[in-house]
Amino acid sequence: MTRQHDVDLSIEFCGKRFINPFLLSSSPVSNSAEMVARAFDAGWSGVVFKTLNSDRLPIIHPSPRMNPLHYGGKRMVAVQNVEQISDRPLRHNLMDFLYLKKQYPERVLISSIMGFSNDEWAYLAKVSEDNGADMLELNFSCPHMCIEGSGHHVGKAFDLIEKFTATVKQTVSIPVIAKMTPNITDMTEPALFAQKGGADAISAINTVSGISDVGLDDWVPRPNVFGVGAISGTSGPAIRPIGLRFIADMAQCTGLKVPLSGIGGIETWIDALHYILLGASTVQVTTGIMHYGYRIVEDMIEGLRDYMRERKVRCLADLLGGALKHLKTTDHFDLNRQGATQYDLERCVGCGQCYIVCRDAGGQAIEWDAENRRPQLIQDKCLSCMICSFVCPVDGLITFREMPPDWRPAEAPIMDEGLAAQVRMEPFTKEGPDECTC
Amino acid sequence: MTQAVAEADRCLLCHDAPCSRGCPADTDPAAFIRKLRFRNLTGAVRTIKTNNILGGACGVLCPTARLCEKACSASGIDRPIQIGRIQRFLVEHGWERGFQVFEKSSPRPEKVAVVGSGPAGLSCAAELARNGFAVTVFEKRPEPGGVLRYGVVSSRFDASFLEKELEDIRRLGVQFQCRSPVEGPAAAERLLQEGYEAVFLGPGLWDAHRLREDRPDIKGVYASVDYLEALSGDRLEAMAAQICGRVVAVVGGGSVAMDCVTSAAQLGAADVYLVYRRSFGQMPAEEDERIEALRAGVHFLLLQQPIDFAVDDAGRLKGLRLVRTRLGAPDNSGRRTPETVHGSEWLLAADMVVEAIGNRAEKGSSTWYPHVSVDRKQQVKVDPATGRTSVDGIFAGGDIVRGPSLVVNAVRDGKTAAAAIKEYLNQRPATKEEIS
Repeated sequence: MTRQHDVDLSIEFCGKRFINPFLLSSSPVSNSAEMVARAFDAGWSGVVFKTLNSDRLPIIHPSPRMNPLHYGGKRMVAVQNVEQISDRPLRHNLMDFLYLKKQYPERVLISSIMGFSNDEWAYLAKVSEDNGADMLELNFSCPHMCIEGSGHHVGKAFDLIEKFTATVKQTVSIPVIAKMTPNITDMTEPALFAQKGGADAISAINTVSGISDVGLDDWVPRPNVFGVGAISGTSGPAIRPIGLRFIADMAQCTGLKVPLSGIGGIETWIDALHYILLGASTVQVTTGIMHYGYRIVEDMIEGLRDYMRERKVRCLADLLGGALKHLKTTDHFDLNRQGATQYDLERCVGCGQCYIVCRDAGGQAIEWDAENRRPQLIQDKCLSCMICSFVCPVDGLITFREMPPDWRPAEAPIMDEGLAAQVRMEPFTKEGPDECTC
Repeated sequence: MTQAVAEADRCLLCHDAPCSRGCPADTDPAAFIRKLRFRNLTGAVRTIKTNNILGGACGVLCPTARLCEKACSASGIDRPIQIGRIQRFLVEHGWERGFQVFEKSSPRPEKVAVVGSGPAGLSCAAELARNGFAVTVFEKRPEPGGVLRYGVVSSRFDASFLEKELEDIRRLGVQFQCRSPVEGPAAAERLLQEGYEAVFLGPGLWDAHRLREDRPDIKGVYASVDYLEALSGDRLEAMAAQICGRVVAVVGGGSVAMDCVTSAAQLGAADVYLVYRRSFGQMPAEEDERIEALRAGVHFLLLQQPIDFAVDDAGRLKGLRLVRTRLGAPDNSGRRTPETVHGSEWLLAADMVVEAIGNRAEKGSSTWYPHVSVDRKQQVKVDPATGRTSVDGIFAGGDIVRGPSLVVNAVRDGKTAAAAIKEYLNQRPATKEEIS
């Protein structure tokens, strides 16, 4: 117990101290104070509350509103939803704000808002601030809004991002986070517009537009809302690489000075740490909670704390962006250094999957000893794609090893040398860019 | 479904899969598990039923731990894939969705007779019917299925399950003639003169070894075949009444003995004793069957040799006279031989004794096929690669050839013989009918 204070999981974000970097993102998991209170009790340091509605238009959620993507026996590697913003009366949501700030003054309450006009953005920002919100998150990214000038349509119209952010900043004094849509090619551009409008931080990503399933009996894309499907927001572990990529892009963008809040497929402390090492100072979670409940934060806290202890990292800020110095474009690779696989056959169980994939997707570098049920590596043919190690059921049996400087993998064989004379081609001789890594 | 998919997910999808090599009937688990994994469920069912028409029964009854699952590579990670359960799930899934595996084959004129509707006969009949032959199965008992119906307790293999397997076989065009024993002098060979171009013998082994061959009529003493047949038929209630609250002793250490003790315990016997002359580890029964019997509350009396029944003056069974044994030198099978301990006789009081000490060919069965070579146990001699007997056109398989064996081995024999029968009929000169 004496070691409890040896590492510090707390982090400052937009001038506010969070007891740990783990927040609920704006979604069904942050729909009411009753839910959020339980999340706080479980250990979450803050909440981005479900996006407020101004009551100008009623919100009715489609039914059913979600659909899972399963992979084999593994459930919910992604979830597609057609959820709208909060369908609760604004007054109820604000009463919940007051309740949470009263009961959990040390936890951070971030109000997510989305307007359809300057006035509406300003109105929602003002009521949030007046009822205890510590920060705002501007939802420029909900993929389920069809009206121009709303949701992710704003996130793709960069001048509107700047305009609405500026409006909000002029209305309130609390920090403002702009939440980005991933359904674009380059996120640094809208992030810079948000910064220009005065945003204090960027959060990313919102859900990725996708289709999780199509019914084979009715041909209706899922979720099947009474005969109609729609391209809509997809979340969960399957989209994590996309979230990490956008966070890293923004972290490396020299013009972008604001802190980042990482979102997308986080379930474990390791997932969260990836975001932190790539530049996110806080992380937000929804799908992991949809799958497992608020309790997962206990393992995030404990896992990250123990990692920091083992690495002798005293405070979370020391991890922030730690991987970025190793993240470069592919032209930075040292192609003079080559490696190959090595096999520790002591632990081999003889399934032969390595043989199958090397034959059909690699360098045909494995022969199969049928009698002993063991792979035999022909190292000179190894492409170091490492696919064999991905399919191997025994962790660490197949590893990468650097080969001597003069070593090169053998070329793929030609089936019939006699066809050389029949090939019709001239060598390509024109000048081009001096780069050969794609 | 979720469970099956999760289990298939654990499968390592081996190259040259050991499980498929481990199946005597070539059911090819590696293929059907891969098909399940890639959501090709109909293909998975097709693989099973095409390779093994009794795939459902085998999925339930096979001692998978010493067949397909024995060499499973996943054992090197944690535990073998539960292949039997996946197989059973897939077959049932096929039935639930009404998936028809087999397409109509073009009919052939040749008629083939199959004697006995146990696993060997059913397998042979289905395989021949798939090839278009007109197959008639002759069954002595009122319903088809042989040991699957009359030799296994319903808690292990339910008759409704068998009915579905039979339905698949009937749909192939196989005709069943029940209550039609092919017995009596040369009755089986005569089929060749009665319009059948080939005959498959799969009558099984239905005559029980007995402790006292000379006293077959002691009331309260049953051979396991009779006991189990009673439980499977309309005599179940009478049998249950006879067992409930009484003491039952079962002699033997094989799977059949386990079926007998476990069912007696389930029917409410006051005490059930399993009497075996060797030790626990030497029992032929599968380990899970032995454990199940222990869990059911059965008392295992090991290293006990029955020597005789104790009968009162009125001829009623009083119990079983036993003598203790100890294990001596190994016999030819490598198992240590039990030797009786002099002076250790004692009486185990029992109201009922079931003898599960093995079955043999029925007395005089060789006279039904007098020209077919048999061994001294009256078991039929065949070429193992084809199932051919010494008589042209007569083939055989299952327990009548192997001695007591597994359902899956009988399925193998049926398939082997069907392939040989097809080849035999293909090479045969056309019959008069065909010429006309």
